[in-house]
Amino acid sequence: MTRFGKRQESLPDLVAEAARSALSAARLEAPDAIVVAAMNPEEFIGEGNFASQIATHLGFAHVPALRVETATSSGAAAVYTGFASVAAGLSRSVLVVGGEKMTHLPTPRVSELIGRSIDPHERSYGATMPALAGLITRALMAKTGVTLKEISQVAVKNHANGARNPYAHFRDPVSLDAVLESRIVADPLRLYHCCPISDGAAALVLTAEPAPVRIAGIGQGADTLAVRYRESLVSFRATQAAAKAAYRMAGFGPERVEVAEVHDAFAPFELIALEDLGLVPSGKAGRATLAGETAIDGRLPINPSGGLKARGHPLAGTGIAQIAEVFWQLLGEAHGHQVAARVGLAHSIGGLATNNWVTVLERTR
Amino acid sequence: MTKPPSELIPASRCTRCGRVVAPPTSYCPDHPVAMEPLSIEGYGEVVSFTTLHSPPEGFSSPLHLALVGLDGGARLFCHGAETKGLRVGSRVAVEEVDQVYYFSHLGVMDRARLFWRRAGDLEETVTAIVKSAVKRVWRRGGGEKV
Repeated sequence: MTRFGKRQESLPDLVAEAARSALSAARLEAPDAIVVAAMNPEEFIGEGNFASQIATHLGFAHVPALRVETATSSGAAAVYTGFASVAAGLSRSVLVVGGEKMTHLPTPRVSELIGRSIDPHERSYGATMPALAGLITRALMAKTGVTLKEISQVAVKNHANGARNPYAHFRDPVSLDAVLESRIVADPLRLYHCCPISDGAAALVLTAEPAPVRIAGIGQGADTLAVRYRESLVSFRATQAAAKAAYRMAGFGPERVEVAEVHDAFAPFELIALEDLGLVPSGKAGRATLAGETAIDGRLPINPSGGLKARGHPLAGTGIAQIAEVFWQLLGEAHGHQVAARVGLAHSIGGLATNNWVTVLERTR
Repeated sequence: MTKPPSELIPASRCTRCGRVVAPPTSYCPDHPVAMEPLSIEGYGEVVSFTTLHSPPEGFSSPLHLALVGLDGGARLFCHGAETKGLRVGSRVAVEEVDQVYYFSHLGVMDRARLFWRRAGDLEETVTAIVKSAVKRVWRRGGGEKV
């Protein structure tokens, strides 16, 4: 994984940095196949045929490479693709690598490009990701009684965790007052409830050989592109379906999960995820967060890396970074922000929760 | 097919599951079956709303956006002149102006009129009153800061 944040390097260079560190940690010179995740290199950096470009850039022009895209969950989708390839016996080892480079563009342009993953009719009304997240936040508060203070505590907790993670975009803690007083982006959502625009890349190696950590379960869930077609705004069907599939494959449920990286692109999404994943009883996520249960020293640490909020969100890099983070946590290599866990979970949201993934990892020894 | 009256919202219904969506689509989002067209009344409840202070290019700030659950079943994105006093669950009227849907918060009197309209009385009169109220509210806001 590279450090996330504003980076001067090109995306191929960031991807190469992440790929080389993953290959060297896995003591693998060359993989059988490469899966590349990038949400929109065509628009962000003006590059196409990106899998071949990355393979060649890495010195693996002879290794079969393909690119996977499911909007902001592209990284998790790439891990799934690599996992399926190894599980099917098509490859013995797969390098999964992904990232995004965005900070060189003006913020309105980045928002517009990310917003293209929204239903075109809703976009024609000015709906952006923060706008839809604002609608969801207000509905969540009205329906479940979650308070702005509870939502804001997610950002406070994740910033505190990010301060301990050398890969994080933000390394400064923030106070509850600072979150509550930050400027309004999409009422009632404020600036500090939203993840930043980050550059960065992450990589991992999947192998058929015995390894200290295994993917116990991985699942995908889907929902309508249009938010107006959904019956509920306060839970994500795509997360629930992905979790169900991942737990079924694992043969166990949320009761064994001891650490999780969840997709907190907007702070209230972490609360929704905790309940959709079955990690916290329905209606309890806000109170559990405020009580410190999900803090790094709490009963169930959530986003010890700082999450999207503080580690940063280089789109297609995020899903891979989350799984790498859980891998390090299970191995005891999460320097500076280590928790005790044998089973961990990563949760990634694509678009406005149209294409979500849940991956469950388990230490094997 | 004749054009539906302007206070009606064009929508479509899945012939398998009965789901209603607006604007109309050819296929149900959850079933690969053709939808049948229908028109639904422009009244409903606010599912949620937000105000954008830095809206995307081409939209004036602040941009008031609401998701309205129409009584006829579909949910619709709407613009509005203001969100003052609006709550999740508020009754609103929805009307199309220049191919954009606008919501207007219905006051106690409007709701009373709608009740009587439902009772079958004064349909034409009440439609005209509510429509003019809707137009007045959005025009007052129309692109300007309220």
